[in-house]
Amino acid sequence: MLELLDLSRRFGDIIALDGVTFSIPDGEIVGFVGPNGAGKTTTMRIALGVLEPDAGDVRWNGRPIDAEARRRFGYMPEERGLYPKMKVQEQLVYLARLHGLSRPDASRRAAETIEVLGVAERANDRVENLSLGNQQRVQLAAALVHRPDVLILDEPFSGLDPVGVDALTGVLRGEAGGRGVPVVFSSHQLELVERLCDRVVLIDHGRIIAAGTIEELRASREQRRLRVHVTGAPEDWYDAIPGVRLVEATSNDGLVLELADGVDEQRVLDLARGAGDVTHFSRERASLAELFREAVRT
Amino acid sequence: MSLSGDGVGSDARETDRGTWWLVAQRDFWYRLRDKGFVISSGITLAVLTGLILLRAYGGSGTPTFDLGLLGTGSTRLGPLVVQAGNGQGTDVRTRPVADRDAAEAALADGSVDAVLVDGKSLLAEREVPNELETAVQTAVVADGIRTTLEANDVPPDEISQILTPTPVPVETLEPQDPNRETNSTVAFIAVVILYGQLFGYGVWVATGVIEEKASRVVEILLATIRARQLLAGKILGIGTLGMLQLIVIAAYSIVLASLTGALDFPAHALGTAALAIGWFMLGFAFYASLFAVAGSLVSRMEELQNVIVPLNLVILVSFFLAIGATSDPNSTLSVIVSIVPFSSALAMPVRISLGAATSFEIVAALVVSIGSTALLIPLAGRIYSGAVLRTGARVKLRDAWRSASN
Repeated sequence: MLELLDLSRRFGDIIALDGVTFSIPDGEIVGFVGPNGAGKTTTMRIALGVLEPDAGDVRWNGRPIDAEARRRFGYMPEERGLYPKMKVQEQLVYLARLHGLSRPDASRRAAETIEVLGVAERANDRVENLSLGNQQRVQLAAALVHRPDVLILDEPFSGLDPVGVDALTGVLRGEAGGRGVPVVFSSHQLELVERLCDRVVLIDHGRIIAAGTIEELRASREQRRLRVHVTGAPEDWYDAIPGVRLVEATSNDGLVLELADGVDEQRVLDLARGAGDVTHFSRERASLAELFREAVRT
Repeated sequence: MSLSGDGVGSDARETDRGTWWLVAQRDFWYRLRDKGFVISSGITLAVLTGLILLRAYGGSGTPTFDLGLLGTGSTRLGPLVVQAGNGQGTDVRTRPVADRDAAEAALADGSVDAVLVDGKSLLAEREVPNELETAVQTAVVADGIRTTLEANDVPPDEISQILTPTPVPVETLEPQDPNRETNSTVAFIAVVILYGQLFGYGVWVATGVIEEKASRVVEILLATIRARQLLAGKILGIGTLGMLQLIVIAAYSIVLASLTGALDFPAHALGTAALAIGWFMLGFAFYASLFAVAGSLVSRMEELQNVIVPLNLVILVSFFLAIGATSDPNSTLSVIVSIVPFSSALAMPVRISLGAATSFEIVAALVVSIGSTALLIPLAGRIYSGAVLRTGARVKLRDAWRSASN
């Protein structure tokens, strides 16, 4: 388990991180979301030791991280970067050795990794001569080549086509589910995060504003929402119960209602049945995107 | 889709100490295979080959002239001209010419440089070479003296004694090394090459830093290795390549110069080369740290020229000061520039090689050089680590210093 404890960091007058705390359990995929400039990249860089925090601690399996443990992390920075003039295989071997593998192991792992990621036939091409999609694969290979103990990926899905997204999703599931590696990645593609992640951590202005499974995030919402379809009812039938607010009116007499604390859903149902024919009555599940917008707004 | 290997400890691991060594190896081999390196090495060796061959076979030996002899008066003077030529360090070869037409033909085809007519006048195509004219002049005077002495019944062996020049003994107040001129030439060439290596390889360090920054690969590297290890590895790798190239250049030049006879005294050149190599290491450690800092401040290769201008100037000024020291190694200026850190790597080997440096000055220069580099490296490392992750606009030194975390 990788734990980030109370991380703070300033850049001049700007407070980039202000007491960031969360953890990434073994074998789980954690989505790290937040608006641009919220502090995601800074957090990841600190977790990797690329940046030092002003205060706070990063722990791996309960112990402070030393350089040796850090070398076993895998990292894909948001700003993609490889030596443009180095050949794919050569470059991956070099990076694997920097991560601590011996030369024969590094060669073997580099070959395996590009095989799995489908760029094996480009092993002896210079990176600058590859298509962007293949460069992205090599970049991912660079993060995986040493079979990392922890995977930290900054916007790994940006710039991928749907096939690439599926491939990367498969790799991340394999790393977390198969090898039991803690995986954290940042993304603005919230549907993807919702689909892929065991947990989500939401950051804004350098502070963690929500963290947990999607269900936990939903449950923590102060308001509940209902989707109700009533035919033949007056437009403002729900006004009779205090604490019910209209969020959205859809076609076919559909309404999305927000219920204040203490408002009983069954009372709303009774009222709806009294007003007309109820053709649909359900709890509205908030999408991660909605949770995100709400959380960031407050 | 999944990868094999359980990751945690399944592969053999290298120790942390080895990481800067890996960086050094990569930088070394990567550049050794670089086309630019191969081409520039080839050009350097070709230029040196040209210089050495020119010195060995081009004109610097004993001047030799061919003199045609026309008429009996000339035939009698011939041996005297040869003797006079020998006395002044000129080889004169004589051969008889049948008549005026043959003389003109020989002059036209260049087989003689001048023709002595009847022992009285010189005929040439355009002008008579000075040395040849002097030799003929001397021979005519000697012939006149001999004729007069013979007419006064001076015994022949006395005459030849009078006419055989004996060198006047020379005594100097400050004895000069007979190889002084050669030694200064060797020192001059050593300074030029040393300057080229310091500057060229320094720029390579800067471009290496910018390359990693511009391609952003540095962020991946810094996730595995500390900025200072990366810097140390890079300087070591590139510096080793520079040193090996210097050794190859020196060995090649000295062997070629000895084989062709361009150098009379290769042992001294060997000593100068060893000095140059030693001071290259000291000077490179110093300058490479500065070049690395310069490179870390910018994010694009196009900005390289702007940041290295000040360094470029400092090295160039040091270079000219060191050139000055090759001709005047004992001046106060030469002593100073051979001790201050920026120029000592260029000027001190010159002064040692020319026998001008005292042991005190050598020790002082070593202490200053090693001490200033030892102070500079941590400063450079800090600025480098503070600047190397900041892409975009040029980083100010002060900001880099502040944002470095340790």
